[in-house]
Amino acid sequence: MTQSRTRREFIATGLAAMAGAGLSAAFSPAFGHAVRPADRIRLGIIGTGSRGAGLATLIREMPDYELVACCDIIPENLQKGLSLAAKNAKGYTDYRKLLDDKSIDAVVIATPLYLHYPMAVAALQAGKHIYLEKSMTYDIPQAIDLVKKVKASGLVFQIGYQYRYYGLYHRVKEIMKENWLGKITHFECQYNRNSNWRFPVKDPKMERAINWRMYREYCGGPLSELCAHEIDVVNYLTDSRPVKVVGLGGINYWKDGRDTYDNIRTVYDYPNGVKASVTSVLSNAYNGYSIRILGDKATVEILRDKALIYPEITNNARGVVDGVTGATIAVATQGKGVEVKFGKAGEAELEPTVFALKDFAECVRNKKEPISNVETGRDGSIAIHMGNAAADTEKVQYWKPEYSA
Amino acid sequence: MRSRRQLAGSMAIIMCFVLSALRPATIPRTYRITGQAQGTNYAITWYASRQSVTQAQIDSIFKSLDASLSIYKPGSLIGRFNESETGIEMDRHLAHVVEKSMQIYRQTGGLSDITVYPLVRAWGFGAKAADALPDSAAIRLLMPCVGSDKLKIKGSRLVKTVPCVQIDVNGIAQGYSVDVLARFLEAHGIGNYMVEVGGEIRTKGRKLPGEEPMKIGIETPSTTEFDAPAIREVITIGDGAVTTSGSYRKFRESGGMRLSHIIDPKTGFPVQREIISATVVAREAITADGFDNALLAAGIDGAFEILRTHPGMEAYLIYRKPDGAVADTASAGFARYVVKTGER
Repeated sequence: MTQSRTRREFIATGLAAMAGAGLSAAFSPAFGHAVRPADRIRLGIIGTGSRGAGLATLIREMPDYELVACCDIIPENLQKGLSLAAKNAKGYTDYRKLLDDKSIDAVVIATPLYLHYPMAVAALQAGKHIYLEKSMTYDIPQAIDLVKKVKASGLVFQIGYQYRYYGLYHRVKEIMKENWLGKITHFECQYNRNSNWRFPVKDPKMERAINWRMYREYCGGPLSELCAHEIDVVNYLTDSRPVKVVGLGGINYWKDGRDTYDNIRTVYDYPNGVKASVTSVLSNAYNGYSIRILGDKATVEILRDKALIYPEITNNARGVVDGVTGATIAVATQGKGVEVKFGKAGEAELEPTVFALKDFAECVRNKKEPISNVETGRDGSIAIHMGNAAADTEKVQYWKPEYSA
Repeated sequence: MRSRRQLAGSMAIIMCFVLSALRPATIPRTYRITGQAQGTNYAITWYASRQSVTQAQIDSIFKSLDASLSIYKPGSLIGRFNESETGIEMDRHLAHVVEKSMQIYRQTGGLSDITVYPLVRAWGFGAKAADALPDSAAIRLLMPCVGSDKLKIKGSRLVKTVPCVQIDVNGIAQGYSVDVLARFLEAHGIGNYMVEVGGEIRTKGRKLPGEEPMKIGIETPSTTEFDAPAIREVITIGDGAVTTSGSYRKFRESGGMRLSHIIDPKTGFPVQREIISATVVAREAITADGFDNALLAAGIDGAFEILRTHPGMEAYLIYRKPDGAVADTASAGFARYVVKTGER
């Protein structure tokens, strides 16, 4: 965090004057605004780039929220955010000024990863409930510290892992519990794309601010920005966290000045020898996002908005007998994928993030702990950092007891 | 040259002799035709000294059955009946199946009823899956269309007394198909065979050349719609048929409840009974298949009542006890078929 302050200050021009000011100050628990059930939650968004504006688009349609403030250091982003906000919403380039607004109940933070920790800490100090985009923190010490600060605050703190709120994953977890897959030994996760993963930059000075995903100074590359979801999903589905990890990564295709990996392959070891390979390749997009869960009775393949089950072909019954009488087995279910049914019949299909934001509102109103909370967020972030460290050092990284003390 | 030709000639004679000695004219072997039809798998196995039946013949039989009885096949005879206002001319398949269905309708006190199709569709088990579950008002509206008493057979014509009557013979058509295939094999001189279509089976004779009886596994109800079968009991039935109806493989889930695909024609709602699998042994597969759904819908006591009044049929029932444990029971005559009890 310290060695490259000047560059970071360049990125965060708007907040440079205040940088560091509040971070070292003693943390004082604040009390969040009590939001009455009937009231709309007064919300501010810090960071209205592609993700923040995407969230604003969803929030605009939700009766739970009134988007009253936006903050971004890039004028186009701020304008975009305000165009999606309430009529008299305020625009800020300094997030601290947004946090000073006492009428704001909660904030969404959707900024580059390295800004998550300082912004979240400041928001907690200002007594705001927080919806913080994934992944949670830039490094391991920040993750551990944020757990303490959130717990002391009594505020609602949710991490933007929306798949924890998506019926598809609930159903997959149920299926696993009902032993449809048999004994599960492996997860195979990939988050691939065939693109340089860059946003267009008009002013060359803005390259690092806009394409922060390319630089280690601001984030953990594909593992923290893409695979984070899948690591969190494996943690969620197994109700555990990794024990150790090995990995290899490189910049072998997009040699364009980036210093984050353009390909990384890690294998996480979970309790009981369950292994999860987590891969991101930026030069192939076949089944770009996919998680395969390998059991000795069947495989589940989770794609963006559906999951398929592939039963193992077992012919144990044959050989003993000449024929089997039983309820008819549909042909379509043999050797081919069977689509997993989820959700209630006739229920509208919504963007998973809508379910996550709905639950955030519910938690704010009723002071509940979110399903995607600071501890699950910490587990995800630490796993990401371990994976990157494994690839950087080419050495096995172990989960240390103090990580989850 | 001459001597060489002579040698070649005598070689040919010797070869013929050797070949005819090797030809297994008298040693029967196993023939097997497998494939997919009626939305499931079929397997036909017979023991004979030559292949007298081909896959093409079997497929054409299925084609003619589908053209008559399939609710999934566009333009099928049954589909045209369902769309008609008053009825249609039946072919021999439909005539046979409808006649037998109406007989079983009477014998089961209306528990087996092919006119449930409007209800089957409403509950999402028809040719197209329904989005939402029907409410009781929607079911009440459909009930006037249900009841085999609204069907009349006039010569070769099937007549509906109410235009909205629609029939679904899926509960019996597989059994009938098995009988049709069995008759086809017998017409081709095959006397030792097993015909299986989607878990409905008919056997005759023994496995040759060893003369072993044909063994049939009764499946343990699975937890999922695609589980590979595990065997609960092994039976041999000699010359006869065995079919199984189960609510464990085809169902919809709603609010944590499993809705059976077997609809009670009297209530209009999915059957919620303790029986999860009913296996019936009878002389013909159409009989066994026609009764198995009704036994499932009748519950244990009702099932035994039906069996008591219809001799010539035996049944094996797997059911869920009130505490959730799975148990089984069978009619008295069933025990003679059982050769082995599988792992539980």
